[in-house]
Amino acid sequence: MLDLSPQDMQAIWLSARVATAATLISVPFGFVVAYFLVFVRLPGKALVEGMVNLPLVLPPVVIGYLLLLLFGQSGVLGPLLQSFGIRIIFTLKGAVIASAVVGFPLLVRSIRTGMEDIDERYLQASRTLGARWWDTLLTIIAPLSGRAVLAGMTLMFARSLGEFGATIILAGNIPGVTQTIPLAIYEYTNTPGGDGMALSLCLVSIVISFVVLLANESVSRKFRQRTTR
Amino acid sequence: MKSEIVVLLSLLQLLVFPILPGQAAEVHLSVAASMSDAIKELDAAFAADHPGVTMLPNFGSSGSLAKQVAQGAAADLFISAHPKWMSYLEKEGRIAPQTVRDLARNTLVFVGPPKVSVNSLNDLEVMERIALGSPQSVPAGQYAEQAMRAAGVYAGLAAAKKLVMAKDVRQALLYADRGEVDGAFVYRTDALLAQKAVVLYAVPDKLHDPISYPLALTVEGEKNSAARAFYEFLASPAAMKILEKYGFGVPAAATGAQGRGRPRN
Repeated sequence: MLDLSPQDMQAIWLSARVATAATLISVPFGFVVAYFLVFVRLPGKALVEGMVNLPLVLPPVVIGYLLLLLFGQSGVLGPLLQSFGIRIIFTLKGAVIASAVVGFPLLVRSIRTGMEDIDERYLQASRTLGARWWDTLLTIIAPLSGRAVLAGMTLMFARSLGEFGATIILAGNIPGVTQTIPLAIYEYTNTPGGDGMALSLCLVSIVISFVVLLANESVSRKFRQRTTR
Repeated sequence: MKSEIVVLLSLLQLLVFPILPGQAAEVHLSVAASMSDAIKELDAAFAADHPGVTMLPNFGSSGSLAKQVAQGAAADLFISAHPKWMSYLEKEGRIAPQTVRDLARNTLVFVGPPKVSVNSLNDLEVMERIALGSPQSVPAGQYAEQAMRAAGVYAGLAAAKKLVMAKDVRQALLYADRGEVDGAFVYRTDALLAQKAVVLYAVPDKLHDPISYPLALTVEGEKNSAARAFYEFLASPAAMKILEKYGFGVPAAATGAQGRGRPRN
């Protein structure tokens, strides 16, 4: 029933790679930004919050285009990166960056919620016991927000698997390099007679997303058991 | 509170209510992307003589347009850049077969930033990224793949993952114009519109099928008098002049000459 060509298998493998890379790269940044938004008191926090949430409300195509303007040949960072031999447009890096930018707000939101849920009294107690901020961070905040980080990672991973607009503009449709599952499905829907292949890939996409969600549920449950002892 | 809800609901209903069909006649065109500018000018010329007619062009790659029409999209006229998609729609029973005729000709070129010189398709092997319309649905890509296979370079380039698939020929042109790729396969008519990219190589005609633009009325278009009028207008000398202005070649039948109509450089 599932009729997958070698190009389709490449697309599936690429989707997994891009989503994993985007999520793993974003976790440290997401954690830092969430910590800053919850625990640090600085003027201009609203601006940071707005910028972080922007990719959530912007059409992904706009995000892709803005990234293209940033990293393109005639862009701001493009020529600079090229002098170091780094190319973003139409490369796997571009696909990863597109997914990372689009999914970042989801990650930060999730971690923020987790951090805000931490009982104030633990933090106050640690302060009265003389712990420095990094001590509190490593021994109280990090472990207690673990579940939120995981939930955020899952959400971001699932979003990256479905990312289309920004990816096709920044990374283009290059089979074997940037053609992820959504791009492959799009190409099939444009082709007369490609409906069978499109449906096969849709099925694969649904199955992968389902597996990711189930994995998240089971790991969250294990975390819950551990913290409520 | 209750009266406000009633007002709100009735306002929403008005928004959702379908717009009543206009008085003017409408002509839905599904046109290959490479003819966008020419058709826009042809539309304007036709509308100037026929007030009350609204032209609604839909531009895209011929393959994706054919699929849309086959799935029921509104179309009175179909202009494809490859006979394959016209035959596809004929088989689907969407086309009035007696109205199929050749509208124009074109040639395939390789454009790019003026950095390298290309003397044959083999020179493409040293490039890093080459854009072409996706051969599955874009005629320009189909002709390009045909030419590259004839030159023996397609398999190598595809295996090295150097081919960037564009959704239509104009997107391929954009990639080349922006300098994001080392070059792109587009039509000469598109190359004339490029801002920064220049023609690096004219693909020899013998490497691919002749590039012709079949035109036809759809089954619905045959019943639309405005569509039929536009179909006739496209055969007029005025229309031919506009097409030639954009670099299209006229089909052999229209010139009446023995040779095939080719655009003059």
